[in-house]
Amino acid sequence: MATLSIKNLSKTYPNGVKALNNVSIEIENGMFGLLGPNGAGKSSLMRTLATLQEADSGSAFLDDIDILNNPTELRQVLGYLPQEFGVYAKITAEQLLDHICLLKGISNRKERKELVGYLLQKVNLYDKRNKSVKGFSGGMKQRVGIAQALIGSPKLIIVDEPTAGLDPGERNRFHNLLADVGKEVIILLSTHIVDDVRELCSEFAVMNQGEIVYHGAPKDAIFELKGKVWQKSIEREELEEHQKNHQVISDKMIAGKPVIHAFSDINPSDGFNLVEPSLEDVFFVKTKLNQVVVSV
Amino acid sequence: MFKEFFLLEIKSALKRPMVYIFFLIVALLSFFAVITDSITIGGSVGNVMKNAPVVITQFVGVFSIIGVLFAVAFFNNAALRDYNNQFNEILFSTPISKASFLFGRFFGALMLSTIPLLGVYLGVVLGSSLGPILGSVSAERIGPLFLETFVNNYLLFILPNMFIAGVIVFALAIKFKNTVVSFVGAFGLIVAYSIAGTLLSDVDNETIAALADTFGDRAWTVESRYFTPMEKNTVSPGFSGILFLNRLVWLGIGAIVLIVTYLNFSFKEKQSKAKKQNVKNTTFQLIQKPQVSEAYSSWLQFSSFFKISFLNIFKSVVFKVIFLFALILLVSNIVGGYEYFGLKSYPLTYIVIDMINGSTTIFFIIIIVFFSGELVWNDRSSKIDEVINATPHSSISSLLGKVATLVGVSTFLYIIFSVIGITYQLILGFTFIEFGLYFTNYLYEFLPNYLFFSILFTAIQVFINNKYLGYFVAVLLTFLLDIILFALDVNTNMINLGSRPSLSYSDMNGFGPGALSASWFSTYWLLFGGILLVLSAVFWVRSTGGNAKTRWKLVRVNLKGRNSLILAVVSILWLGTASYVYYNTQILNSYETRDEQEQISVDYEKQLKKYESITLPKVKEIVYTFDIFPNKRDVKAKADLIVKNESNKAIDSIHYNINSDTDPKFTIPNGSLVFDDERLGYRIYELNSPLQPGEFMKIKIEVDYISEGFENGRGSTNIVRNGTFLNNRVIPQMGYNSGAEIADKNDRIKFELPPKSRMPALYEGDSCTADCMTNYLSEGRSDWIKTETFISTSSDQIAIAPGSLVKEWQEGDRNYYHYKVDEPSQDFCSFISADFEVAKRDWNGISLEVYYDEKHAYNTDLMLDAIQKSLEYYIENFGPYYHKQARIIEFPNYSTFAQAFPGTMPYSESFGFIIDLEDTTKNNVIDAVVAHEMAHQWWAHQLLGANMQGGTMLSEAFSEYSSLMVMKQKKSPLEMKEFLNYDFNRYLRGRGGETENELPLYKVENQQYIHYGKGSVILYALQDYIGEDKVNLAMSNFLAEFRYKAPPYPTSLDFLRHLEPQVPDSLNYLIEDWFKSITLYDFRLKEATYVKNETGKYKVTLEMENRKLKADTVGNEIEVPLNDWVDVGLFKDSEGKELLALERIKFNGNMQSYTFTVDTIPAKAAIDPKRILIERVYEKDNFNTVSEKE
Repeated sequence: MATLSIKNLSKTYPNGVKALNNVSIEIENGMFGLLGPNGAGKSSLMRTLATLQEADSGSAFLDDIDILNNPTELRQVLGYLPQEFGVYAKITAEQLLDHICLLKGISNRKERKELVGYLLQKVNLYDKRNKSVKGFSGGMKQRVGIAQALIGSPKLIIVDEPTAGLDPGERNRFHNLLADVGKEVIILLSTHIVDDVRELCSEFAVMNQGEIVYHGAPKDAIFELKGKVWQKSIEREELEEHQKNHQVISDKMIAGKPVIHAFSDINPSDGFNLVEPSLEDVFFVKTKLNQVVVSV
Repeated sequence: MFKEFFLLEIKSALKRPMVYIFFLIVALLSFFAVITDSITIGGSVGNVMKNAPVVITQFVGVFSIIGVLFAVAFFNNAALRDYNNQFNEILFSTPISKASFLFGRFFGALMLSTIPLLGVYLGVVLGSSLGPILGSVSAERIGPLFLETFVNNYLLFILPNMFIAGVIVFALAIKFKNTVVSFVGAFGLIVAYSIAGTLLSDVDNETIAALADTFGDRAWTVESRYFTPMEKNTVSPGFSGILFLNRLVWLGIGAIVLIVTYLNFSFKEKQSKAKKQNVKNTTFQLIQKPQVSEAYSSWLQFSSFFKISFLNIFKSVVFKVIFLFALILLVSNIVGGYEYFGLKSYPLTYIVIDMINGSTTIFFIIIIVFFSGELVWNDRSSKIDEVINATPHSSISSLLGKVATLVGVSTFLYIIFSVIGITYQLILGFTFIEFGLYFTNYLYEFLPNYLFFSILFTAIQVFINNKYLGYFVAVLLTFLLDIILFALDVNTNMINLGSRPSLSYSDMNGFGPGALSASWFSTYWLLFGGILLVLSAVFWVRSTGGNAKTRWKLVRVNLKGRNSLILAVVSILWLGTASYVYYNTQILNSYETRDEQEQISVDYEKQLKKYESITLPKVKEIVYTFDIFPNKRDVKAKADLIVKNESNKAIDSIHYNINSDTDPKFTIPNGSLVFDDERLGYRIYELNSPLQPGEFMKIKIEVDYISEGFENGRGSTNIVRNGTFLNNRVIPQMGYNSGAEIADKNDRIKFELPPKSRMPALYEGDSCTADCMTNYLSEGRSDWIKTETFISTSSDQIAIAPGSLVKEWQEGDRNYYHYKVDEPSQDFCSFISADFEVAKRDWNGISLEVYYDEKHAYNTDLMLDAIQKSLEYYIENFGPYYHKQARIIEFPNYSTFAQAFPGTMPYSESFGFIIDLEDTTKNNVIDAVVAHEMAHQWWAHQLLGANMQGGTMLSEAFSEYSSLMVMKQKKSPLEMKEFLNYDFNRYLRGRGGETENELPLYKVENQQYIHYGKGSVILYALQDYIGEDKVNLAMSNFLAEFRYKAPPYPTSLDFLRHLEPQVPDSLNYLIEDWFKSITLYDFRLKEATYVKNETGKYKVTLEMENRKLKADTVGNEIEVPLNDWVDVGLFKDSEGKELLALERIKFNGNMQSYTFTVDTIPAKAAIDPKRILIERVYEKDNFNTVSEKE
């Protein structure tokens, strides 16, 4: 049983942006989703945990490995897929994975070959293993990225928006792949695709403005909102007025017409209907409404 | 739209490094080609200025052909970028016009691909201004630059050639969408060009060959073939003639291809043929993720980093272009050959290696500078840095991998280039290939250098942490540190990054005396590199966003464990090496810096000049004893002198100059040391009882030259393992030495020294006595003296000193020799020891001997022949030879000269021993040099000029003339033109570069261009005018008067006194014009026409315009009336090889016409067809084609 324990982690960029504001969280085995709008600090947190960014204060431990002060030890049990995964020009997928295998300490040639083969097959690139990665499409590159993150026997896998750019089929494949990795591993996954979290994660957290604004199990979060999310189909020009009068948490188009969700403990009337809350509603409630409202 | 595409193409390329790298390569090569002779582009430039318009055109021509490879990079990119980025579908679906897209891209790429070639201009401009300042090229070889040259070259060569190459590459790229095809196409274009050149060289019609040339190069050759040096220095290619026609033809062809490409191009992607699918391997099936074991291996990580980086470089376009570029340059230089007096050397391995170094060094530097940045930044620019950084590899294995890649890529190139070198040797049928030397050169010269700089540049990139700033710093350190340290007068190699004494390889002596020092400095720098590498690994922070505090924390973390251990060990080793190097180069073998040496010269003059005219005894007899220890590089020398007071007053002290590195021991009876300045190297011994006039005294001087450890520089190249070559100056010489004074005019002003005349003025009175008591060689210390030498060396070597070998014996493991000079001679002795082979021939009781290295037997017979021919001619014409031997002795190629000691001529390894003289129609440099040195056995060793103006005419001009006369035995006067040409141009070039005064021949002040160049031409012309026998008679009469005669020594006026009776009155003006003043002619044959007369003969009329000028010593010329005898002639052939008629006629006034009557139509006519009169410029305008009169 591994535990990732983060305490009071803070990071302020030179331009004054607070990327991490006193973040504390404990994460245990299994898949952990990190939701948040752009710029919420997800990547900062993940890069800090991946030993790629230094924190101003706080601590982070994976079991007894001091991540901030002993990066090398963490790197030995880390699988990491950054948000933006590039590749060397002129190097084939197989060569690239082989290289990373070696860097991760898999020195036995036969084992390396098997592992690379297995991973390429898992990400559906085995046929293209002798092709230069440079010529791959974005999705194919992303799959190579996923494959490399799984190399070795990591205890902590950090994947930053892994499903961006994947088609639905590949996304399913990826979900299965992560599920295969095993339950003995902490998988930290950031995404803005709420469905990823719903489908994969036993626990998740929502980040906003450098802080963790929610942490729990998806079903608990949804349950919390039960009876508080109301929906209405409106005309476009009515949006502003509704936003003024209600706590509108989202507006999106359904069949060409704007549909808004509002958060309210009581029926806001005005033509709103109660809907089953989704994780997306959780996300919007946690990130859009201010703290006071959320704590209601 | 066109404009947008055009500008976008240029702007985006300017943001990437490729264009700058190519530009830099071209600029650097051109720069070095201007400022040195070791880098040539398209062959050596010969006698014209290093920056003459024809030379610039030659550079542009060569680069615009090789530059086709640049074109590939730009045009291919322009054509294929969208496909590579899969942007084509987006782009082509927008409403852009096909023409503006295609032509915008094309002309954008065209502009870009001309940019690198503009590097020629930068290189030439910088080279012209910096070359003379850096002192690597003399100012006289730099001429003015013309704007026209730059503009016309751009419009006639750069732009059209890039256009033509671009059209082809662009068309191929659009058609095949494959970079390799584009490259092959470009390469094919170059190959086709060179093959066509060979095929068309047989085509009689020059015009067709010139028009068929894609790059205009050969058209220009046709056009400039008959340029005079003057024209070469001033005329740029222009918009007329065959060259312009050629350009129009090829631009037209290019335009057609471009239009066809345009018509065929479509935005719609053609259904690309389904690429052959790779045969699928048996599908790989593993359900379960395989279990793996983890065992971190730094070695495997290092090799993986190496592999990835190597592939990255190897497959990059920049690397391919640089590689092909270097390859083409190397091959063309190799085929062009090692030019040397119009001759080639045998392709000895070290010569081939030199050639490889000369053509490719710059590419290695560029590769290391550029790719060090690329590799350090590769992860980041590929956006894979976070993944790699998050793996548990050690930074040091990553950095080492990069360094190893840089070295590996360079090594790969070295191997390829070596294979080319070996192939070249084999093609020439040369089978003595020293494979080991290719390897040891790699080990000694190549690896330490490139390994260190790979580490240094990688470390710079890590520390500077900004790619382009890193490049800047790297270039700064490579090129500017030298200059800065030079300015600061810092001479030690311990500070100048990566520097060490330069080695020059000699077949005789291997890598030579500097090898030990170089190895220590290499060790010193490589250990320093080790420290840099560990520090870069420690400081290479793999995470972002830290501040100084957290950084420092990480550095401390990184320092833990193995890194600190390595750092400690390497630092200790480095400090140890540094102390040892310091001890050896600064304490054991201390040296004066340049500024210190200068100051010593100044102080020497200021403090000791007062002793210049004191009376000293003269040396009358010397017995030298030299013990040479080649393995230890030690020499123990001793001189036993008998001196005599030849003055008329008592001498109470004896002054000696001392080499400050030595501590000689003097044994002077009754002498006591009263003055000893070690810094200036001057001692005064006072005689307790003065030496009375006419009295003799014995002096013994012992001086040891002991090599200890190693030096900052290369060390003495005179005392070496094989090929020690010393002269008698290693023994301290008596009296104040004015040769140690600062000679440079400006430096003398700087140090507030009075102006110094180069030479005492010529004594013009009736008979020179008091002023003529010293000669310019022994400067009054001695006259004709008896000399013998006891010399010993190790058992595997032969030691040689001048004179007959009296005795030879062995004692212990050493060889001993006793030589005795046969005839009292000047005190001018050489002492040589090496492992020699000997070729001997007896000729009339004189032993002709060549001592040579066993590898250099090629020309020994020719040398013996040359000695014999010289002896035959000189004995017959000048008088007896007074030695029983005539020796040529090879010495290592640290210098390139030959020198005459009595009966003994040391001759540099690289100055004839390895020249290929199998083609007997070419100039024979050995004949020329040997005959010159042999002539010194008369002109210097039997008769020596007084130490004043004109003195060197009697030895150098006479020897050069004698040498010409020996060669003339076998050559026709027209063939002699080839030889005279060298001397002729040497004079004209030299007088252009004179910084003080040009003097008439009879007052020459040891000016080489006058006594060699002008002197030989004038004496040669003189024998043509008054007869060989008359000149030789004057010379032998002169010699008879002064041969081995006690002072006073003769002056140039003494010679003229002997010459005058031999000159007929009608030619008396020649002595005044040629010897006593500076006279220049200017002949122009304006027109030569013929008409057939009634008798069937041809009347050929020459219309001439001629002038005669007199120059003063600073170059002002005034015209004087022309009333001189000059040859006019007719040639049968247009090459000017065979004369049909020759007349010597009197030229009266400027306009002159002359009519020949001959049987056949001549091809050409000429004024002074033998080219023996000195004209202002060596032009072809005194030749003209004979045409029929209209």
